[in-house]
Amino acid sequence: MKQIAFLAAALWLTSCSKNEIEPEPETYTFQVPKHFPQPVFDTHNAMSWQGIELGRKLFYDMRLSANNKVSCASCHDPKLAFTDGVQFSEAGVSGTALHRHSPALFNLAWANNGLFWDGGSTNLESQVFGPLTAHDEMAQNLYELIDELNAEADYVLRFQNTFSEPVSSQNVAKALAQFQRSLVSASSKYDRYRLNSPGGSLTTDELAGMALVRQKCQSCHAGELFTDQGYHNNGIDSDFSNAEHEGLYMGRYRISYDLADVGKFKTPSLRNVALTAPYMHDGRFNSIEDVLTHYSEGVKESATLDPHLPPGGLKLTDQQKKQISAFLHTLTDIDFINNVNHQKP
Amino acid sequence: MNRIFIFALAAALFSSCSNDDDTQIVTPATSGDMAITLDARVGSEDFALDKDFVMGTQTLNFKKLRYWVSNMILVDTKGTEYKVPDSYYLMEEVGDLDLSNTISSKLTYPANKRETISLKNVPAGEYKTIKFSIGVDSKYNDNLSLKAGELTIANGMSNLSWMWHSSYLFTSVGGTVKNGSTSKAFTTETGLNTNYKTVSIDLPAPINSSTSKGVVLNLDVTKIFDGIDVMTNPAINAMTAPLMSTVSTNYATKAIIFGSEAK
Repeated sequence: MKQIAFLAAALWLTSCSKNEIEPEPETYTFQVPKHFPQPVFDTHNAMSWQGIELGRKLFYDMRLSANNKVSCASCHDPKLAFTDGVQFSEAGVSGTALHRHSPALFNLAWANNGLFWDGGSTNLESQVFGPLTAHDEMAQNLYELIDELNAEADYVLRFQNTFSEPVSSQNVAKALAQFQRSLVSASSKYDRYRLNSPGGSLTTDELAGMALVRQKCQSCHAGELFTDQGYHNNGIDSDFSNAEHEGLYMGRYRISYDLADVGKFKTPSLRNVALTAPYMHDGRFNSIEDVLTHYSEGVKESATLDPHLPPGGLKLTDQQKKQISAFLHTLTDIDFINNVNHQKP
Repeated sequence: MNRIFIFALAAALFSSCSNDDDTQIVTPATSGDMAITLDARVGSEDFALDKDFVMGTQTLNFKKLRYWVSNMILVDTKGTEYKVPDSYYLMEEVGDLDLSNTISSKLTYPANKRETISLKNVPAGEYKTIKFSIGVDSKYNDNLSLKAGELTIANGMSNLSWMWHSSYLFTSVGGTVKNGSTSKAFTTETGLNTNYKTVSIDLPAPINSSTSKGVVLNLDVTKIFDGIDVMTNPAINAMTAPLMSTVSTNYATKAIIFGSEAK
């Protein structure tokens, strides 16, 4: 009788698919902040603690670059809400300055309307191959990457535990996507105010700034995420006809080929904005004051200018600018930038 | 008693694993292997690299011909469709390809010629139509982390400019074009979900999958360029959307025709 049971067990093991016998990766329950909308994404990449941890290790690993000197964190520093503080990074393998400013990384689980400043990438799982392989960024040969990761037993084990599969470039992308989706910023002073939590009182100026932001900025920097995930021409230029670098300066047009999208770039979140200077897709403004001066007095007219922005600008008073700036500083999330789960392991 | 027990156990085991892909329900005794070959040609001549071909007033000399074939379906005489599982194939004829500064700073992709797709365990039947698409369907084109068949971007079927779309190149043909004393390098690329097109080839007579070795289809490279002046448009890609669309339609509707039954 015992033998039969043994035989049965053996049959069972060989007859069913592998993942029924391997330990399942620990399910990660994505915590949606109380005042945030439900994130909607379906990329066939279920999050697990193991996947997030593997992604974190990869995010900080310089072996992901051709010269083993550049990691994702070279341009995405957690202390600056995963930006790099410079206009155009020269941290890439070639040392050549990039043409666009490194975007902040947080609340990406809600970023389901395209990534990159022109939205050319549908999801984090695809987006990662851009910087990973671009020759002015990490310039990584994907075949070589697999060899390098396979040389470390810890990686081989982690990939097996997370995906029940060996190391592959596709699973590198999945793990990095899981880590990035785990980066949720929702505990700024503003959030404490919003949720009536301790330490959540705003000053008179901050409250006045909040009212101004709601009135004048939230048509694009919408809702609790402070972005509509959309694309807008905010009047920083009047001419977007320069077609150099495969249409890089033309905005979302180079992705959609729709003339209505000329000069439109993705709305970044206002959260952590005090940490993410310089500003705009090309980092042209050094300070929040410069940005407010643009929206107040510098808005340039063109065919695709956002209808919420009057040509010439919103004409803010100095006091209004100060109040807006005061409110924007309440969106800084110190808990987020210090979160131990986000740092280099 | 023991025998009954084992029987019950076996039944339980089978039923517990019955949710597999339905394409796997085949009868091994009668299923067979078939080869679908896409024979690249230039008009009536066989396609070759580094050889001059006269096309109208221009002379083309090719360095590469690459394209994805996906989602192959065999339709039998009763109209039943057999969907080939995991059906993503990179068809190509390339010399050593220097992929430096495309997806990596230094990378050589070794010379390769691949014209045949080997289908295993095709259910027995009389097949009259072969359907497949050129390129990669949106589910996989929009998510480079999903694995299926031969899909990967490591082989250069994406490149720096395409990475801003984070998707696959569907087709890529390149070389030099000459007109009189003028000579230029050219690259004709297609991609993007709107250019994912399906080819349907009706066979002149049904073939039996158990006895036939398969089918040879002819891909006429001159038809890829139908209505396209390569000399005037040496770089066709995402930045030349209308031309790219014409080339994609040419692949799907003009370039591929039935050749012969495989011998």
